[in-house]
Amino acid sequence: MTGIVLDQASWSAGGTPIVAPTSLAFAPDKVNVILGPNGAGKSTLMKIAAGRLRPTGGRVLLDDRDIFAIGAKELALRRAFLSQHVEIDFAITVEEVVLMGRYPHFARAPGHEDRRIVDAALELVGMSARRRQIYPTLSGGEQQRVQLARVLAQVWDDTATPAPRTIFLDEPVASLDIHHQLQILDLIRTLPARRCSIVVTLHDLNLAFDYGDRFVFLRDGQVQAIADDSVDISPNLIRQVFDVSATGHNDHAGKRVLRFHL
Amino acid sequence: MSANHPSLSRRDAGRLLLAAGAAAALPARGLAAGPGNRVVCVSKQINEFIFDIGAQSHLVARDLTSIYPPQITRLTSVGYHRALSAEGIISMRPSVLLTDGNVGPDPVLAQVRSVGIPIETMAPGETLQTAQQLMLRLGRYFGREAAAKAIVARWQAEMKTALAAVAPYAKAPKPRVLMIHFGQIGNTYLGLTRGSAADQIINWAGGVNALDQMGGMARLTPEIIARAAPDIIIATDVGFDRYGSPAKFRDLPGVGLTPAAKALRIHRIFETEIMYFGPRTPAALRKIAGWLHPGR
Amino acid sequence: MAARHRSWGQIHLLLACALVAAVLLSLSIGSFYFSPAQIFRFVGHWLGLAPIAPEEALDLNVFATLRVPRVLLCGVTGATLGVSGALMQGLFRNPIVEPGLAGTSSGAALGASTVFVFGNTALAFTSPLGTAAVPVMAFVGGFLATLLVYRIATLFGHTDVLALLLAGIAVNAMCNAGTGFLSYIARDPQARNITFWNLGTFTTADWRGTLLVTAIFLPCLWFILRRGKDLNALMLGEDDAAFIGFDPDKLVFRLLILNTLIVSVATAMVGVIAFVGLIVPHMMRLLRSSDYRFLLPASALFGALLMEAIDVVARIVIRPAELPVGIITALIGAPIFLWILLAYRRRIAT
Repeated sequence: MTGIVLDQASWSAGGTPIVAPTSLAFAPDKVNVILGPNGAGKSTLMKIAAGRLRPTGGRVLLDDRDIFAIGAKELALRRAFLSQHVEIDFAITVEEVVLMGRYPHFARAPGHEDRRIVDAALELVGMSARRRQIYPTLSGGEQQRVQLARVLAQVWDDTATPAPRTIFLDEPVASLDIHHQLQILDLIRTLPARRCSIVVTLHDLNLAFDYGDRFVFLRDGQVQAIADDSVDISPNLIRQVFDVSATGHNDHAGKRVLRFHL
Repeated sequence: MSANHPSLSRRDAGRLLLAAGAAAALPARGLAAGPGNRVVCVSKQINEFIFDIGAQSHLVARDLTSIYPPQITRLTSVGYHRALSAEGIISMRPSVLLTDGNVGPDPVLAQVRSVGIPIETMAPGETLQTAQQLMLRLGRYFGREAAAKAIVARWQAEMKTALAAVAPYAKAPKPRVLMIHFGQIGNTYLGLTRGSAADQIINWAGGVNALDQMGGMARLTPEIIARAAPDIIIATDVGFDRYGSPAKFRDLPGVGLTPAAKALRIHRIFETEIMYFGPRTPAALRKIAGWLHPGR
Repeated sequence: MAARHRSWGQIHLLLACALVAAVLLSLSIGSFYFSPAQIFRFVGHWLGLAPIAPEEALDLNVFATLRVPRVLLCGVTGATLGVSGALMQGLFRNPIVEPGLAGTSSGAALGASTVFVFGNTALAFTSPLGTAAVPVMAFVGGFLATLLVYRIATLFGHTDVLALLLAGIAVNAMCNAGTGFLSYIARDPQARNITFWNLGTFTTADWRGTLLVTAIFLPCLWFILRRGKDLNALMLGEDDAAFIGFDPDKLVFRLLILNTLIVSVATAMVGVIAFVGLIVPHMMRLLRSSDYRFLLPASALFGALLMEAIDVVARIVIRPAELPVGIITALIGAPIFLWILLAYRRRIAT
């Protein structure tokens, strides 16, 4: 089975359980959305699944191999992760940031292929014209797009038969305006077609339902439900996970649309 | 002045030849045939003594703090005696480096020695007697024994009369005296402590050091000054001149509360008069005794 | 982008040439002036090719035993401070960081001060070391201080950069307090020694010390220069650096150790020199790039070059006396740093 699988993986800090033993497989070549209130353990779960945080119980597998037994550089070729907030205080350019995504691919100096991929990634996020600009001078939205380009460049594969890869995105659109939110999500939605499995956390449930394929609901470190179709998500589940009442209907495309109140 | 231009080395060679000839005429002591004509001396006390015995023609450089007698400042300074540079000293092409042992940084002496320049260390000791012996030793060293002996003889005589003059004060009540020196390196005021040359002069003059501390120089704080409660303050020139007058000197934190300030018994003295023993000590002793016991 | 990397190489070459010029200047100028022809002859003499006239024996001696080791030590120290500044800014992900932030220079100053004050009493066991007592204890002090910083920072598991910064501030404060206390209780000549040591000087450079510093510096530099990519990645934060295949904990640990080593050893020999580690990397960032593959070699070269220039000034302003280099760096450091700040603002504005 390709993709990342959690097998009773749990994590506790100093005796306090943060993530309960979780068995979970991310849908390959699909957009997996992790949903839950603040403090539910979404980021922690993502970091465990990405092989950054070693679970205190259970294990994480990538292609049936223990993900923590895979070397960091090799793993970097197969999965990428964009943290919620990447702060760079130094005067480096946009293209230098994106080039960092290619670091796992070259030893001393970037090759022609690396530079081509950086160009392509910048093009994809619409930041080609700004490639020489100093990163800290960009707006929040622009910086986010550059980071996304970096992450894309890391696992870029535009060959005829691309290898399966996983991209984790922790709150990729949290600080963006609606235009850029949709722009980024549109881009993300095209990735599974290139054999990319996406694991993303989103706060906006309607956006999640619009763009996601599999939904993992997390509360207090425990998976409450996994749904593969937004129509299966009941108001009870919403109340159970988010402590809000929801009334919803299905839109013309058959996707769930909800309105919330306390 | 310190460039090694070829013509200078020819002049040097001539000088060395003269010095060698002159030295040859002098009684040899051990292997050395005299200090030569290019003495670098980094001790202010020894420099003063060299001028006293008339051997200053041997000197080519001094340290920063050697400022007495005034004509010595015409000589090149090789820097502060605790922050010397070997290269700077060597560039004067000395025939010998003369010190009183108080030099730094430590490696510099070894570096100077390593290029073959001899170092002569003459410690002045703690007492008047050892200072006088230093003068005699310098006399022998520079072949000015007669001059040195004459100076020491006069020095001893003047000392004897000065001590006799101040003897009556031994029975009088001893005023508390605080001697304030200014440390230019640290930009702080320091107190001269018990056992120092200045302290001994105070004792002869019928006073007592307001500070209890022995050895080195004391860091002065307003509390220490106030607690010392001196009847008289004697400040050395650089520190005193920063305020300018006895009245203004009361502005130094802590001084204003002292009996000395209230009675305006604040005096100025050159540091070279009291920081070490020398032929000017008898005069300094009389002067200070006059301050300590006015009208007696 | 290939053009960019080529221009890096050009700048490095330019800096190297400037460094060579500075070294020649430094070999030449001072209380002793050695003309290029003389230097040429001296080198020839070393190689056994040319004889030396007897009247030049003293000059040769001074050149060989005092000037050359001094120039070498000066260059290595400048390179150390430059690289260390760039390194620390990368490890702490903060531009306002300089080599001493992890406690190294203040620890070294404390170590040296203990010898000045207690060398004859409590630390009499160091007297067999002779004049090496100060550098040895300075090294011990610098190393222990940084070790303490690191232990505090990793007390609760993995290294947090913020914890490292705070621990550094705390240990620096402690060491400075200790040195301050020692200079307070010190007798007068000792207090002056402490003051002068704190101002930094190349005056006492000798072959043994210089070769030691150089022998330690070169392999460390080699390792550090190869970590350009790693330091770039660290700019993204520890997590994201890990996600592109680096081990930030190991990286930070190793680089911190190396930084401590080179800075302690240099500080031990030379005393504390402020500002250089702060301004050199920033000037190189402004010159071209903050990419560490450019910045590390550039900082090493420019640091060496700047230090040589400063030492020349230190040697000739009050010739034959010398100014401590620390005074000069303090004098020019602040205005240069202000200029750097203005240049950054101008760049951001455009």
